Amino acid sequence: MSSDTSINQSDARDERDRCSTGIDGLDNILNGGLPRGNTVLFTGSCGTGKTTLSLEFLVHGALAGENSLFISVTEATDKLLTNVIPYDFFDESMIKKGKLILVDMPIVYERLGLTDIEFSLEDVDTLVKAIGNLVDELSIKRLVIDSITSVCYRLKTEEKIREFILRIGKALSDRGCTSILISEISPNAERYSLYGVEEAIADGIVLMGNLERRGDLLRTLQVVKMRGTSHSRAKYVLDLTPAGVLLVPLLKGGGG
Amino acid sequence: MPKSPAQLAEELSELPPSSAISLRIMGESYFDAIRGVVDIFAPKKDIDTIYITSAIPSQSIIDVLKILEIDMKHIYFVDCVSHSMMTSGTRKHENVFYVESPTMLENIMLKVEYLMRKTSDRTTVVLLDSINALGIHNDNKILSEFLHIFINNLRAKDAYVIILSMDEFSTEEVLNMMNLVCDTSIQMEDSET
Repeated sequence: MSSDTSINQSDARDERDRCSTGIDGLDNILNGGLPRGNTVLFTGSCGTGKTTLSLEFLVHGALAGENSLFISVTEATDKLLTNVIPYDFFDESMIKKGKLILVDMPIVYERLGLTDIEFSLEDVDTLVKAIGNLVDELSIKRLVIDSITSVCYRLKTEEKIREFILRIGKALSDRGCTSILISEISPNAERYSLYGVEEAIADGIVLMGNLERRGDLLRTLQVVKMRGTSHSRAKYVLDLTPAGVLLVPLLKGGGG
Repeated sequence: MPKSPAQLAEELSELPPSSAISLRIMGESYFDAIRGVVDIFAPKKDIDTIYITSAIPSQSIIDVLKILEIDMKHIYFVDCVSHSMMTSGTRKHENVFYVESPTMLENIMLKVEYLMRKTSDRTTVVLLDSINALGIHNDNKILSEFLHIFINNLRAKDAYVIILSMDEFSTEEVLNMMNLVCDTSIQMEDSET
């Protein structure tokens, strides 16, 4: 009886509206895509494919008619676009039509008058409201902040980081916006985010890494947590190709 | 037991898509077997070939195919040896995709997946040359796991899969592995016997 109930509950959860990432392998892992409205932490060290994957999530959204916003904190967006993989499915007109919008966070800071090195709680409030307004004005359905770690550098205290993540998550979820927050960690980090707060608050955690096996370096992806859906927790190997991100299971070779 | 490339192609043509074939050859019939697959079977069926080379560099295969005047428009190579021999950077061929090392079995699957997406409207034959060469670099456990996932994935995409093995280098373990994952076994007879 109890197991039937738990299966039914699982089925009900799986019926939650999905935001297809457009990346077949990831959609399979997530049983159809990210639960719509979730705020998900994509975390990993440098060179693991976080930015490329999140950008592809937005491109597929834009192609499906969903307005998609990329907020770049660390890298100028024009430089980002020149470095991005020349996707077979990329159509520059989606930028001209406003379906895919790229915003430089330093410009947002400047316009909001957030010039201090360390943000106050009022600044956090201003920033969250500004992002919420952007989402409203541009009817954004998908959003990426690359990276949340860089924003947190200016928040300093755990209290302000928690406040920011909680508020931004709520603001985006209330608007039905499915969001990816990119988190940068060191290769040997023992937790999923630099401050430890981000991972506790996010609806989902996707861990991206570089796995060294007998001298080979493999890019890996693992969904550690995702509220609102059942999902695979296995590790996958990924490749960044002009056809988009491709995923296959990591071979274990009987070694676990 | 086919003796010539034409006989091999004929035997392959009788099999439906999604077939996994263990193609056992002796060293002398190596190029006959390749010719039977890429020059007769694939064009006859009007399908693309994805040639995974882990035995010799793709450039050597391409050179031979050129001499044999085989049309390479629909032949794609996944080359797992040139990079580790540090020769991949010298002569680039637009239909060649490199995997850094024959130990990166997942990346072989990923390159094949990419190529199949590129040619999604056409049926494909995937030729793995050879299981023995992959066996030099990988232990049997990971190799079995690779073949199991790889072949089932390709079956789901209606591709033909041909796994080449050299009789003189095949251990009982390799033969058992092939029997387990393939549904048909073809032994190519040396044309001179």
